[in-house]
Amino acid sequence: MTVIQTKNLKKVYNPETIPVVAVDDVDLAVEEGEFTAVVGPSGCGKTTLLNMIGGLDQPTGGTVSVGGEEIGRMSQSQLTDFRLNNIGFVFQSYNLIPVLTARENVEFIMLLQKCDKAYRDKRTLDILEKMGIRDQMNRRPAQLSGGQQQRVAVARALASSPKFILADEPTANLDTKATESLLDIMAQMNKEEKATFIFSTHDQRVIDKAKRVITLEDGRIISDENR
Amino acid sequence: MIFTLSWKNIWRSKRRSFVVIGAIVLGVWSLIFIIAFYNSFGAAFTRNAINHEHSHIQVHNSDYITEPDLKYQLKDVDVMKVALDSLSSIKSISARQKINGMIASTKTSAGVQIYGVNEQAESITTGLEDQLVEGTYFSKIRRNPILISRKLADKLKVKIRSKVVLTFQDIEANITSASFRVEGIFDSKSPKINEGVIYVRQSDLNRLVNDKGIHELAILLNEGAEIDEMKVFVSSITDNTVRTYKEIAPEFNLMEESSVMTKRILTVIIMLALLFGIVNTMLMAVLERTKEIGMLRSVGMKKRSVFSMVVMETCLMGLMAGPLGLLLGFLTISWLSDRGMDLSMYADALKEYGYDAIFYPEMDVVTYPSLMIIVILTAFIGAIYPAIKAISLNPLEAIRKI
Repeated sequence: MTVIQTKNLKKVYNPETIPVVAVDDVDLAVEEGEFTAVVGPSGCGKTTLLNMIGGLDQPTGGTVSVGGEEIGRMSQSQLTDFRLNNIGFVFQSYNLIPVLTARENVEFIMLLQKCDKAYRDKRTLDILEKMGIRDQMNRRPAQLSGGQQQRVAVARALASSPKFILADEPTANLDTKATESLLDIMAQMNKEEKATFIFSTHDQRVIDKAKRVITLEDGRIISDENR
Repeated sequence: MIFTLSWKNIWRSKRRSFVVIGAIVLGVWSLIFIIAFYNSFGAAFTRNAINHEHSHIQVHNSDYITEPDLKYQLKDVDVMKVALDSLSSIKSISARQKINGMIASTKTSAGVQIYGVNEQAESITTGLEDQLVEGTYFSKIRRNPILISRKLADKLKVKIRSKVVLTFQDIEANITSASFRVEGIFDSKSPKINEGVIYVRQSDLNRLVNDKGIHELAILLNEGAEIDEMKVFVSSITDNTVRTYKEIAPEFNLMEESSVMTKRILTVIIMLALLFGIVNTMLMAVLERTKEIGMLRSVGMKKRSVFSMVVMETCLMGLMAGPLGLLLGFLTISWLSDRGMDLSMYADALKEYGYDAIFYPEMDVVTYPSLMIIVILTAFIGAIYPAIKAISLNPLEAIRKI
């Protein structure tokens, strides 16, 4: 089943003054359960592509459909709801809520979804267990290592049972050991939870783990390799 | 969820939160103090005016009010006194004969209002005896004793036992003069009485004007008695004009209105200062969390939830600080209302306006909840701009900052 479909997707910054084409005519289809890496040099348009797929940025041209629904036609409020219920975000610098514990950070997204307490409790503990950080669940982000914080971030992204997870350079701030560990866990989640992952990265370790690698250059897809 | 997040956000920067809470506490405390201090001014002025000048209710012949002539006397005084004497809410009644005249010493003369009074009744009604600073109270001089104020005594350059001459018209409009001897010098808390009222025995004045008519009935009520109800009752038993102290002296209403206005203005000023403090601090708190708020919006937090979070954060601080400020204010006022605030250094100036040198700050209990509402409202208004700033953030900005 196709989760994400882009057609002639285009993004031009400063179209009126000095146009900069960030994404140029990208056609892309991501199937459910994929573990995809979008790679390419800095400035090739990886983040812009992910932002448009995530409904955070408006395309200059073309369309983005998620689960068959075109998101370009949605209002800001609809997009907010859409992101909450369909997309999990993992950020480079974790972006956890510093005043909440690891458990609360994971539970928070389900509170936004208005899930009942029993479900939240079960899902939170379950995911934290799978992510291997249940023992640290009552710690605040500042009391966790970078690797642990990113695991909490992945747990948070998974908690809302999204259609797919967008991860923008998720390993950029992690050391080798933490990167390996995080990638193993994400691969495991991909397998066990059937979670669809799309990374933007230029980290070879991430690329090596990916099942599909899409390479961008100057905003265009220059290769799309399934492994 | 919003509540939990807001509550935890408050303690994210303890120092900043304590500054906001402290500012609100201080604002509420100072507001209570100022209101209570203003109330004490008004209360002192009213208390002195009632206890030493007007009493609670006065009864006059309606013509006497427009033209204070000797012939416009009260009707059915005895009937009124009998009806009123039995009422427990009345502390005392002073029936006065009032004549305008001149007082002359060997040095100078002055226009005065002569009060012919029953010594005992006047003493209870206005505390005249207690206001004596020199001499005695209608007890040592047998023939025509007179009590004059310290101010008038200084003006006439007379002292105890000095002779003064009173000149006035009798009931037939004949000019009458009689010599009186100063038996006592008083210092009233009423500037008007100090200025030009003298007291003589009613029996002496009756004899000199050839009439026993009464011009004024001053009624002092016991504490807690309903003035308006009593006015209605007195009006029902007489054809004379019955007025409360507020109707007699319009300055009471003026003072009350200006006091209310002043308190409102001060409240607005203090709350405005507080408002700017809150806006500034909350704006800082929001701008420091740009990235986090952007992330919250990115992952699906609605604008109204972000707005509520910032507003609730501020209101929670108001809810913590408000009662603290109220308690502090209440304790300060309770302490001062027992001991009083001694402003003796301004005693002379205050006396000129009919005030004592010691003030007893007071505030109605019902004012406290109103202040709490004002504080919460101020916190709410103060949170609006930072909250708008928070929801105006583009979630993408947060992503780009990663």
